[in-house]
Amino acid sequence: MFLQLTLSGVSQGALYALVALSLTVIYRSTSIVNFGHGDFVMAGAFLAYVLVIGLGVAYLPASIIAIVAMFLLGVAFSRGLIRPIRGGPHIGLALMSIAFGFTLRGIAATVWGRDVLPMPRVFNIDPIIIGPVLITGNALFTIGIVAVLLAAFFTLLHLTDIGKMVQAVHQSERGARLIGINVGRFHDFSWGVGAALGAVGGILIAPVSLLHPDLGAGFLIKGFAAMTLGGFGSLGGAVVAGLLLGVVEQYAGAYIDTAMIDITPYLLIIIVLAVRPLGLFGRKVVVKV
Amino acid sequence: MTSLLQVEGLGVNFSGLKALSDVSFELEGGEVHAVIGPNGAGKTTLFNAISGYVRPTAGSVQLNGTEIAGDAPHDIAEKGVRRTFQNGGLFPALTVLENVMTGLHTQTAGSFLDILFARRKAVEAEVEAREKARSLLSMMSMADMADTLAGDLSGGQQRIVEIVRTVASEPPILLLDEPAVGLSPVARQRMMEIIKRLSGENGVGILLIEHAVELVMSAADRILVMAAGTRIAEGTPDEIRSDKAVLEAYLGHA
Amino acid sequence: MVTSAPTLSRRSRILWLVPLLALAIPAATNAYTQFIVNAMLIYTLATLGFTLVIGSLGQLAFANTAFFGIGAYSATIIGTAFGLPWLLTVPVAGLFGALGGFLASAAALRGIRLYYLAIVTLAFGELMRWLYIHAGVVTGGTDGLPVPLEQDFGLSLTSDNVQFYIFLVITCLLFAGTINLLRSRIGRAIIAVRENELATASLGIPTSRVIIMAFVWSGFVVGIAGSMFALHVGHVFPESFGLTQLIIGFAMVLVGGLGSVAGAALGAIALTALPELLRAFPGMEDIFFGVVVMAVLLALPKGLAGLLGRFSPAFQQRYHRN
Repeated sequence: MFLQLTLSGVSQGALYALVALSLTVIYRSTSIVNFGHGDFVMAGAFLAYVLVIGLGVAYLPASIIAIVAMFLLGVAFSRGLIRPIRGGPHIGLALMSIAFGFTLRGIAATVWGRDVLPMPRVFNIDPIIIGPVLITGNALFTIGIVAVLLAAFFTLLHLTDIGKMVQAVHQSERGARLIGINVGRFHDFSWGVGAALGAVGGILIAPVSLLHPDLGAGFLIKGFAAMTLGGFGSLGGAVVAGLLLGVVEQYAGAYIDTAMIDITPYLLIIIVLAVRPLGLFGRKVVVKV
Repeated sequence: MTSLLQVEGLGVNFSGLKALSDVSFELEGGEVHAVIGPNGAGKTTLFNAISGYVRPTAGSVQLNGTEIAGDAPHDIAEKGVRRTFQNGGLFPALTVLENVMTGLHTQTAGSFLDILFARRKAVEAEVEAREKARSLLSMMSMADMADTLAGDLSGGQQRIVEIVRTVASEPPILLLDEPAVGLSPVARQRMMEIIKRLSGENGVGILLIEHAVELVMSAADRILVMAAGTRIAEGTPDEIRSDKAVLEAYLGHA
Repeated sequence: MVTSAPTLSRRSRILWLVPLLALAIPAATNAYTQFIVNAMLIYTLATLGFTLVIGSLGQLAFANTAFFGIGAYSATIIGTAFGLPWLLTVPVAGLFGALGGFLASAAALRGIRLYYLAIVTLAFGELMRWLYIHAGVVTGGTDGLPVPLEQDFGLSLTSDNVQFYIFLVITCLLFAGTINLLRSRIGRAIIAVRENELATASLGIPTSRVIIMAFVWSGFVVGIAGSMFALHVGHVFPESFGLTQLIIGFAMVLVGGLGSVAGAALGAIALTALPELLRAFPGMEDIFFGVVVMAVLLALPKGLAGLLGRFSPAFQQRYHRN
């Protein structure tokens, strides 16, 4: 039972890790917390749904199309709605991301109503049984995809020039500009990547979840809980914390009460901020006076 | 003159980087004590450590016999240490007058409820604070700017307003971080005169970070020279002028 | 002296003119329009609370709709449980709202700010919503609770006109109180914390306490607006206090002008009729208010109050100090 829970937890946690990671990417690159991020996840899921169910496209090409589409949406959002108000107060930027998310949610609700949509199983892989543990095809797929994605992401970040560019811009925008990095385009690109990564989460959920326009809210909170636990701004921390959250949720749900699954992220946020605000891997920001 | 502030072996360590190490000196009432040194010498860090914005990792800061190292900034300010900021600390969305009035916040009577119900006590305290702020501005010949938004002032004017705000509550100790930056030479001179007057007439102890060495030589009573986080020398302007270590530090930095 | 910003004073003549004129409104409206006008009053008060924290204090707070819900629920629950007349549940709602404000912002004492604080308030808000649904015994769960509409001290509360006058009195009193606060050292401290918290601390002002104070007062005001909402609708449902309310609240604050007292009224009045109209179409509210917020951020960042301020310097000085 314990192992089964752990496995489910890791499978769910992989999704949370993805959401938290994509949130952190946007935050690290642009210093903006995307409060509309849950709705990017939702949009990814709905796009996959439309393509697979509505247009009969196979799951894999549908996913790729959806990811590219969300990337472009992220870029367009940054270019059209964030850049014009970049210089203004932070609260404006946060509100812009919230409003955009709400608009996406509203569009989904208008088109599909408030009903929940089922998406038929995509995989016909039989579940594998190892000892007392049952691994569904989807769980395997989710964990696999996320693992590959994370590996690719971190490799890119630490070993390539793009990674160095990210660090440069993060440390000094002005300096980065001086050496020829187009900071504006970099920000747009980061939003695109963040949106695309978020969408992957949505695409992974779609085959096993009931879709509805409000599903973003839940993921947003989980993403925040993971970011808070892992330490705001820490990419590795977001991933580790996401996995932890998934697992803890399952334990709480099984050993305490099923209702706990809903509240775990809220409680986690409150507890972490009360006990150790920096989270597991956060570093104290030195404010220049 | 009374010794207002005693700094002993003060040190600040940022994960291995020694921003400040073993700094000691005393600040007397009525004295202008300048802190000079090249960029990165740790001058502002010293201010931050004394005023509570950075937690000292070693040493002590005593204010009238009480240890204040490690206290929160607003507590230290309440105990009598007020400061200005290198990059300017005015509130752009408030008017000049309102900015100065925030300097009087802790001395303005009237509780939350008094204010909520506009009781006489709060209303009168408000009028009083307003008038005091206005007269302070008049002394600096800035009364006509009273209702201008602070954000609309020039850099030099902002610095003057910030100082007015800082001295409004008549604190015994002032930490001025490059108050003359952005001022014309004439305004600079005036600023120094005002500072000297403050310390002379009211027995205020002033700690001053300033880059214009000639200005410091003429205005300061004592000078603390810093480099790389530690003190190089300390003494009267004459002593400093002929100090070997100082000459080396300054010649060494082109 | 004449052109300086108005000080804390016992009387502000023009301010009383607006409510005096408003007294005549019920004569000009029918039942449906009056219902909408009442809603405008409620949202005006709620927006005042929101704009204090989001605008004046400058903290992104998602808990405000939570305070609204806390006010509505606490008024109804306590009123039903103890058989209290609605009017007496109003201050109860305020106190619970204030408590909510304190809880939502207590993290500020540990130096939590901006995004962290926003997330904590979001968690707080969502937790409250979860409670409304799951604490069914007390809150009626998804069915909600009916608000007892009887006679309070001889006044029939079912009448929209009677509700209007009561709401008007409450709103004016709370507006007056809030204006007193904003025009005092407390108001200056709140704005100072927003502008430069470090410098504010250097003046001896305990900034964390200022933040909590703003949240607590905001909770008080919004909580009372919640109790008014409960009476107005006649029934409290968990959905009424969900995320859609959040974007509506933000939209009203932005359209009116961040941190502007007059703006709270302007924004609420401008946008109130729409939620009522759009409610029938799923998703339309989200789209509409989402677009409004984005448009205002791009084109009219200082809101309607800012716009009026540009045309009339007197208005700027007297009513649009943020």
